[in-house]
Amino acid sequence: MTEHTADSTSPDEVLSRIGHMTRALHENLRGLGLDKLIEKAASDIPDARDRLDYVARLSEGAAKRVLDATDTAGPLQDGIDARAADLTRSWQALLAAPARADGADAEWRALAERTMAGLAESRDAANATKGHLMDIMMAQDFQDLTGQVIKRITGIAQNLEKQLVQVLVDFAPSEIKRELDNGLLNGPQINPEGQSDVVADQGQVDDLLDSLGF
Amino acid sequence: MADPKMRFLVVDDFSTMRRIVKNLLKELGYSNVDEAEDGVQALAKLRSEQFDFVVSDWNMPNMDGLTMLQNIRADPALAKLPVLMVTAEAKKENIIAAAQAGANGYVVKPFTAATLDEKLNKIFEKMEKAA
Repeated sequence: MTEHTADSTSPDEVLSRIGHMTRALHENLRGLGLDKLIEKAASDIPDARDRLDYVARLSEGAAKRVLDATDTAGPLQDGIDARAADLTRSWQALLAAPARADGADAEWRALAERTMAGLAESRDAANATKGHLMDIMMAQDFQDLTGQVIKRITGIAQNLEKQLVQVLVDFAPSEIKRELDNGLLNGPQINPEGQSDVVADQGQVDDLLDSLGF
Repeated sequence: MADPKMRFLVVDDFSTMRRIVKNLLKELGYSNVDEAEDGVQALAKLRSEQFDFVVSDWNMPNMDGLTMLQNIRADPALAKLPVLMVTAEAKKENIIAAAQAGANGYVVKPFTAATLDEKLNKIFEKMEKAA
């Protein structure tokens, strides 16, 4: 039953009906003043994109600064650890000599023990700090993840904008259309990251108009 | 642990992630690490220099990680090179596609140093058994 209906409807007829529906929709939109709203929505998108780019750029800059700092701080902690280990060995060698019977060296021996305990604490703290630096570094992976999401949203916004502008180009009064068409010569193919309130070449516009039966 | 002189290629379009992976590898004892920004650059490096291991992102411009992996497996000179995917693509079909294309491991971002260490060691173990 359904198949029979589908067979008896020619593709041309479908296209022509969609064309009429589109035209009717367009006239209704204009009647309601919605074409102005669409124009506004389309013109707001580049601004939204710029703002997202700004977020992406600043996040990347911040992540880079953090990584630069952790890259510098890591070796500093390694240096503290190595020097403390070296001093500990020297003190241990001195203390290995037998203590004097008269106890005259007792004072510096006690100080040496305290120094060694302090050095051990320094080494522990340096290693713990290295661990925290690793955590700080790992946390910067947010930039890769949020960056991918922002790229994606920027892409969606760009598509939406293209479609909205296409609607305006296709249905705008002829004098505005000429204006918009001129803009298309500098279209997004040349610099897709830049202005894309300009969408397609005339060929694409014609193709779309053709497909809608205009 | 495998040979610490092992040469790694880290492929990711985000420089932050390349640095993080590079630093993690260094922390795990592998300091011989080079970087590439996308699959095209990575393949050029792999074909002109000697590498022992590839850690790659999936979603990259010019050539994505999966296509790069397929190219590696199709090239007799590179076919046996171990490739670990480190990517935000977390769909089952992604993981299956990577496995079918011959990935040796799959790590989903965000990941921890421990996860990377574990996956690397798993691959090294399998390689030793196969050798």
